[in-house]
Amino acid sequence: MVSHKNSFELKSDLSELETLCQHLNKFGHVTGLSEACITDINICLDELFTNIVSYGFTDDLEHIIKFTINVDNNVLTLTIEDEGIAFNPLEKKDPEIPADLIDVRIGGLGIHIVRKLMDDMSYERKRGKNKLTMKKFI
Amino acid sequence: MEITHRVENEILIIAIKGRLDAATAPIADETIKKTLEENTNRLLFDLEGLEYLSSGGLRVILSAAKEIRRREGKVALANLKQYVYEIFEVSGFTAMIPIKETVEEGLKDLAL
Repeated sequence: MVSHKNSFELKSDLSELETLCQHLNKFGHVTGLSEACITDINICLDELFTNIVSYGFTDDLEHIIKFTINVDNNVLTLTIEDEGIAFNPLEKKDPEIPADLIDVRIGGLGIHIVRKLMDDMSYERKRGKNKLTMKKFI
Repeated sequence: MEITHRVENEILIIAIKGRLDAATAPIADETIKKTLEENTNRLLFDLEGLEYLSSGGLRVILSAAKEIRRREGKVALANLKQYVYEIFEVSGFTAMIPIKETVEEGLKDLAL
């Protein structure tokens, strides 16, 4: 596969999830990546973006969250960068999945899903910014 | 995102279409809670038209399923697309909620 790179920005509002989907559909069209692969990318970026928007900022101002997607040969690399409070999702433990539905605690599932869908994740905090890099072999 | 419901053999069937994510979850949650005000304790989710599900949306389905279990009832899911199924699977819920290929099978599973 030829290499493709795309970057875009979203505002810190959950209504931007629709814009995220549009960006990824376009990327899928250009690269020819399968619908299943684009959906996996969409879910991962959605979960992280939703966390940042919901918990990352202590004010009500509009913030910008930056994304890059890169496909090179069989490696997909995603980055997401924000200026919110320092948060390393890799330090978060996976939620315990109880045996019975009634004991399920609803929360903390997003990062668990991202971990399952991606092959590698790394986090850095630099100059007041969180940057998360994810890789997936496709 | 669109939610409709109907009752068949005293089983409440809720169909969700479109994208269920953190942005559409609040309205979905409200709609489903209103539907559950009818005193039912058997619920089947028909997810044929569900094109996308993230954890924000998963919570809505789980919270309805928990409510039905609190009423000592039964819940099942039917007609899941592969990547919707995967979200339930990686979250560990396929072991807790019966997942059926068709609405008919779901109704059979929930029949008294």
